[in-house]
Amino acid sequence: MKETPLYQYHREKSRITEFAGFEMPLWYTSISEEHLAVRNRVGIFDISHMGRILLNGPDSDEFLDHLIPTRAALQPPGKSFYTLLLNERGGIEDDLIVLKNAANDYLLVVNAVNTSKDLEHVTRRAKEYRVGVSGITSQSTMIAIQGPEAKRALKEAVSVNLEELKRFRFLPYTTSGHRCLISRTGYTGEDGFEMIILDSGVETPHFALKTWNDLAGRAMPCGLGARDSLRIEAGYPLYGQELDENTNPFEADLSWVVAMDKPDFVGRSALEEISRQKESRIRRGVVLSEKVPRPGFEILNGSGEQVGRVTSGTFSPLIRRGIALCYLAIDYSEPRTPVEVKVRDSTAPAEVTRPPFYDESRYGWKRERE
Amino acid sequence: MKFREYNLPDDILYTKEHEWARMSGKRVKVGITDYAAKTLNDVVYVSLPKSGQKLRQMEVLGTVESIKAVSELYSPLSGTVTGVNDDLAMKPELVNQSPYEQGWIIEVEPSNYDSEKRNLLDAKAYSLHLEVTIKKLSQHT
Repeated sequence: MKETPLYQYHREKSRITEFAGFEMPLWYTSISEEHLAVRNRVGIFDISHMGRILLNGPDSDEFLDHLIPTRAALQPPGKSFYTLLLNERGGIEDDLIVLKNAANDYLLVVNAVNTSKDLEHVTRRAKEYRVGVSGITSQSTMIAIQGPEAKRALKEAVSVNLEELKRFRFLPYTTSGHRCLISRTGYTGEDGFEMIILDSGVETPHFALKTWNDLAGRAMPCGLGARDSLRIEAGYPLYGQELDENTNPFEADLSWVVAMDKPDFVGRSALEEISRQKESRIRRGVVLSEKVPRPGFEILNGSGEQVGRVTSGTFSPLIRRGIALCYLAIDYSEPRTPVEVKVRDSTAPAEVTRPPFYDESRYGWKRERE
Repeated sequence: MKFREYNLPDDILYTKEHEWARMSGKRVKVGITDYAAKTLNDVVYVSLPKSGQKLRQMEVLGTVESIKAVSELYSPLSGTVTGVNDDLAMKPELVNQSPYEQGWIIEVEPSNYDSEKRNLLDAKAYSLHLEVTIKKLSQHT
C-alpha cells in the first residue's frame, strides 16, 4: 500500500480508506460537514495520489497535439486545461488536466487509478518524437483548496499574490526555496486552487506537511468521501464510473473537449465515424424525490422499460436529495423528463437534469459575488 | 463499557452484524451500534418495516444509508414490530448523534426472547468481536 507525503496527518486525524493503491483519508469529521464547508466556506484535500507526469523536449507541442483531442500548441503558457486521452477506437483512456508551463514544457495530472497505464500509453506513443516523459508523483505533493473562501485561506497560508490568477490558469511560485505551481482549478464546482509542491514528496515530506498544517488552520480538511459527493453534485465525471475505454467523448457529454477541426490526434478517425452515426445514449443527471441511487441501479420509463443506468449516486448534503450521474437513452435525456429509478425491490420517481445539481447563482464558481 | 472510541452500553445485547437490542418490559428497542454508526458516517436515510410486520431473528428488517454506502439491518430477535422511530424520517442523523437513545430504529415484541437471546452478545463479547472485525479490516487495506 502506498502513502502520500501527508499520510502522517491522515493516520492521526481521519478514517482511512484504500483508493487506487493508496491509503487515503475517507473523512475527518463527517462527509456532509466537510461537503458543506466547501460549498459555504473552504476545504482542503490531499490529492497527492493523482499521477503527475512531466512532458518536455523539442517535439512536445507537436506530440501533445497528436496525443490529445484538445489543442495544445495554441495554448498560452500558464494555461491549465481539461482534456482526454483517447484510444484508437475513440474510447476514453483517461481524463486529465494539462498545465502548460511554456512551449514544449507540460505537466499532466491524471487519475491515480490510471497513472501507470497512462505513463505506458504516453511513453509508447512518444517514441517517434524528441520528448522526455517522466513520472514525478511520489517526489511531489498536491493539495486542493476549494470553496468561496479558498483565495483568502491560500493567501494567508502561503502569502502569494493570487489577484491576477484567473480560472484555468496557473503560476509558478517559489517559497522558502520550494518550487510550487498554483493552478486555479478543482473538482468540486467551487472556485479554488490546486497547489503542486514539486520538491517535497514521500521521502521529504517536511515542507508538504508544514504547508498542509498551515492550511488546515484556515480551512476544513476533507476526505475522499466529500470529494466524491462534491464532484457528483457538480456533475463532474469520474474515470471508472462515468468514463471508460468503451465510452466516447460525445456520449460522455464532453464534446467541447474535442477539437474535430484539428487534422490529427489519436482516436480522431474513429470519432469522425461515430459522429456520423446517431448517438444512442448520453450522460445526464437524475434527482430523486426520495431514496438514494447507487451505481448500477436501472433507470426506467413510465412503462417500466429500462432507459438508462446510474454510474455514480449519492445523497446530496446540499439539496438533501438522492442524486445520480447516469447514462440515458437519447429520447429520455431532455432535462425535466420524468423517469423512475429502481432502488432494490422498489422504484423512486426521478427527474432528468443536466448537472450541476445546485443553483448556480448561489453555489459554485459562477455564483454571484456577495 | 468503552472499546477504543466506541461506546458499548452494558445493559443491551448485540448482534455480530452491529445491531443492538434493549429489553424494557415486554418490548425490545432495536438500533445500530456506535461502531456501525461511526463506520457508516452521515446516515441520510433509514428504511423501516411497518408496524405489525413479523420478523424472524437475523432477518433483514430494513436498510440504513449513508452518503457513501447502504447497509442492511438485521433483526436481533424474532417478533412483531410494535413501533418505528418516526423521527428518523426528518432527522436520520439521530442515528449518528445518539445511536442508543434518540436514534433507536424499531420496537419489537419478541416471541421467543429467552431462547433467542443466547444468540446475542453482551458488551464484553461484542467488544471482542469488534476487535477481530477491525483487525480483519486493517489487514485487508
